[in-house]
Amino acid sequence: MEINAIDGKALILACSAIGAGLAMISGIGPGIGQGYAAGKGAEGVGRQPEAQSDIVRTMLLGAAVAETTGIYGLIVAIILLFANPLISTYMGLM
Amino acid sequence: MDILDVLFGWMQSTDPAALILAFSAIGAGLAMIAGIGPGIGQGFAAGKAAEAMGKNPVHGGRPATLVMLLGAAVAETSGIFALVVAIIMLFANPLLSMNASVIIIVGCAIGAGFAMIAGIGPGIGQGYAAGKAAEAVGKRPKLQSQVVRTMLLGQAVAQTTGIYALIIALLLLFVGL
Repeated sequence: MEINAIDGKALILACSAIGAGLAMISGIGPGIGQGYAAGKGAEGVGRQPEAQSDIVRTMLLGAAVAETTGIYGLIVAIILLFANPLISTYMGLM
Repeated sequence: MDILDVLFGWMQSTDPAALILAFSAIGAGLAMIAGIGPGIGQGFAAGKAAEAMGKNPVHGGRPATLVMLLGAAVAETSGIFALVVAIIMLFANPLLSMNASVIIIVGCAIGAGFAMIAGIGPGIGQGYAAGKAAEAVGKRPKLQSQVVRTMLLGQAVAQTTGIYALIIALLLLFVGL
């Protein structure tokens, strides 16, 4: 079995695809956390309907904070896919 | 053919710099998995604050929201550590200037990413503490300072394992083996 030489740029792109996929696993967390917040928010509105706007505001504020790490993962994935700094580093080395 | 040749033989015929950069991409992706933790934890805190707002909107809800935001900020640190490690690997890769065999440097890149996954734990735990503190302040707003002090003390302890992971990741990236 003969193993062919792998083009360096192709290898970086292939591993960047894997890395982008791995980064998006972080989306698990905000999904669970915000779902819990939404559940508690619904519970609160059911208990005190007149406080609905306050409850929803607090829930959305917290959910926005919980969203951040998911966005970090998305940013890293997008950087890997569309503005790959590793390719330009590699081209600079050549 | 030897199994090691099948697994690692292709690396010998590939440009070392390309290998290091490629596995840095995988390492950066692995590091970002830590984002699971703060996501779950902060969501829990948000839920508890929303619950407190529903029980006592005027006196309990507002301080509970403040405590929730403070605790969520602490829970965010693990996610930011992971982001910093990923950005170091993507934009200022120290592995390229490391003097070691390629397989070891590649291992450092993947290992640094794996280490940062530990951030899941502090993220969930600190978020849980923030949620419980928001709940307590919502019930008894007068005890806010004691509750917040206890929450921050516990969160500092919960942070330790995340800092261990950060130290190991930075050692792998900047010192190597």
